[in-house]
Amino acid sequence: MTPGRTPLLALRQISKNFGAVEALVGVDLDVHAHEVVALVGDNGAGKSTLAKVIAGVLQPDSGLIEMDGAPVTLPSASAANRLGVASVFQDLALCENLDVTANVFLGREMYNRAGLLQEGQMETETRALLRDLTVRVPSIRTPLRHLSGGQRQAVAIARTVIGNPRIVVLDEPTAALSVAHTAEVLTHIERLRGMGLGVILISHNLNDVRAVADRVEVLRHGRNNGSFRGDASHEEILAAITGAGSPSL
Amino acid sequence: MSGSQSSLREANRARVVEAVKRHGGLTQVELTGATGLSAATVSTIVKELLGAGMVEVRPAVRSGRRAQLVTLAHRVGLVAGVVVGYRQMRVAIADVTHEVLAEQTLPLPAEHRPDTSLDRAALLVVDLLERVGADLEELVAIGLGLPTPVDASTGLLSVRGVLRGWDGVPVAQVLEKRLARPVFVDNDANLGALAESTVGAARAYHDSLYVRVSHGVGAGVVLGGRVHRGVGGTAGELGHVQVDPGGRICGCGSRGCLDTVVGVPALLEPLATSHGNLTLRDLVQLAETGDPGCREIVADAGATVGAVVANLATVLSPQCVVVGGELAETGEIFLGPVREAVRRRTLLSQFVPLEVVSATLGTQAELMGAILLALQSTDVFENADDGRGNQ
Repeated sequence: MTPGRTPLLALRQISKNFGAVEALVGVDLDVHAHEVVALVGDNGAGKSTLAKVIAGVLQPDSGLIEMDGAPVTLPSASAANRLGVASVFQDLALCENLDVTANVFLGREMYNRAGLLQEGQMETETRALLRDLTVRVPSIRTPLRHLSGGQRQAVAIARTVIGNPRIVVLDEPTAALSVAHTAEVLTHIERLRGMGLGVILISHNLNDVRAVADRVEVLRHGRNNGSFRGDASHEEILAAITGAGSPSL
Repeated sequence: MSGSQSSLREANRARVVEAVKRHGGLTQVELTGATGLSAATVSTIVKELLGAGMVEVRPAVRSGRRAQLVTLAHRVGLVAGVVVGYRQMRVAIADVTHEVLAEQTLPLPAEHRPDTSLDRAALLVVDLLERVGADLEELVAIGLGLPTPVDASTGLLSVRGVLRGWDGVPVAQVLEKRLARPVFVDNDANLGALAESTVGAARAYHDSLYVRVSHGVGAGVVLGGRVHRGVGGTAGELGHVQVDPGGRICGCGSRGCLDTVVGVPALLEPLATSHGNLTLRDLVQLAETGDPGCREIVADAGATVGAVVANLATVLSPQCVVVGGELAETGEIFLGPVREAVRRRTLLSQFVPLEVVSATLGTQAELMGAILLALQSTDVFENADDGRGNQ
């Protein structure tokens, strides 16, 4: 929130090639606490690659990643998780046959001293968590396959909050959702920001992006192609996405 | 012993009602999950509530199976309230008793476009109806609030340039065409005034002022129990009273309007160097948690708004001033300076001191007003009925 303060996460000159494909070329990105940074760009602009680098899924070929001003490496998703980066990718990575509670605590189940699952405790926490995020899921004992797309997205977002993360990466959270569910997801993003987290939001929908983002970073052909305030006009951002301004080579 | 058991039953009933309210409609199986109560308890409570007429049960399909959807009772039809603001839209479905059955907030981008926003408003109304298990047939009317003066008879914006991009858009007709239901439009501050004077803080008074301090400042004037709209619905446009003759040019074209001094951009600008990128919500939260800079900004805004309110009150002599909108959420931080400014006008404290209170409905006031507008407008419509179309 305060400019000049050390960013929570800083990427410097990140590059990543897949053979002859330049996915990322010298990309810079800063994310502060209490800030929603949107990553926008055309298909293949490098948004998802950058998200995967931040999530520890992909390793950059070169560049520096800093958290709180100290250089870090993110060799795996679990390493990124330990450093406080939680991600929700488009496939959501939830288990269809498990109920909401089990999905929220997946891989982080709570045990008592005898080594038994503390189901009651986990249910209570899930219920409180969903209420904090104003998530509307009819029953936390419903198996995931019975939930709508928006409800699944909400469960996936709730799941990220369990490990007390500091940065949440959301890849296309509103794609293919109804307006009511989009409204819910956007409200959840505002809540995450209100909880003091840094949020990286990747989306194609400029309307959704401009509704919640503090800052919009445009990627084009794997390069930074402009940084805008969240209240910048639709046309300005669109021009940077399509390269209607000056092409950078 | 029996006392604690009956109070337990009472608490369980409250939990079930609260769950139904929060979700709009739930099946009994979902109710057990949502409340953590046993299936038998839920079943007993639902039967009791049915008997008391508090809930309704209607058939629904869940996961391909037939189920009984429990909703709050809404026998006589429903209305929708839609309030479009600068950065968010709120939609609610309510029944004739003003009970809100479902509600949703949608964040909006800066300078959002009328085509996209009205389209989303229509879809949200349909989605929320579905959530409470009702269909469009049951919807009687829609009340729509906009953050700009609206001519109630034509549904057109009466002042150009205040809501950028919306000039000349027949807002009511666009929504009516989408939903095939009558739509009634009014200014958001007027709706807040309607709600507060009907069911809120000013309901005991004939004459009151409602001041809404949000992205801009607006006021609703209630005289003799009716909202005074003025020519073209422009009454109470407090945000366009001149407070700084040498000030900035406002969106309306005049110089130094109140909105250029206490509108959100003007409030956040002095905080940019020290606090960075803030939203109105951040400002309110930080002021509440005791951030000195934010408190200062909010208190100064209160003094500025208070001086203008005092002048308006001197002319109209209302019994009560209700303050609503996001800034009023900070409580006495904002209200104190407003009250102080009003107190300094001796005329206002001569007979009976003018009361300055915060909105009972809080930030819900405008949404409740939209619901009331839809309900009141349709009553008139039904009485005068017979072939006459809506306005």
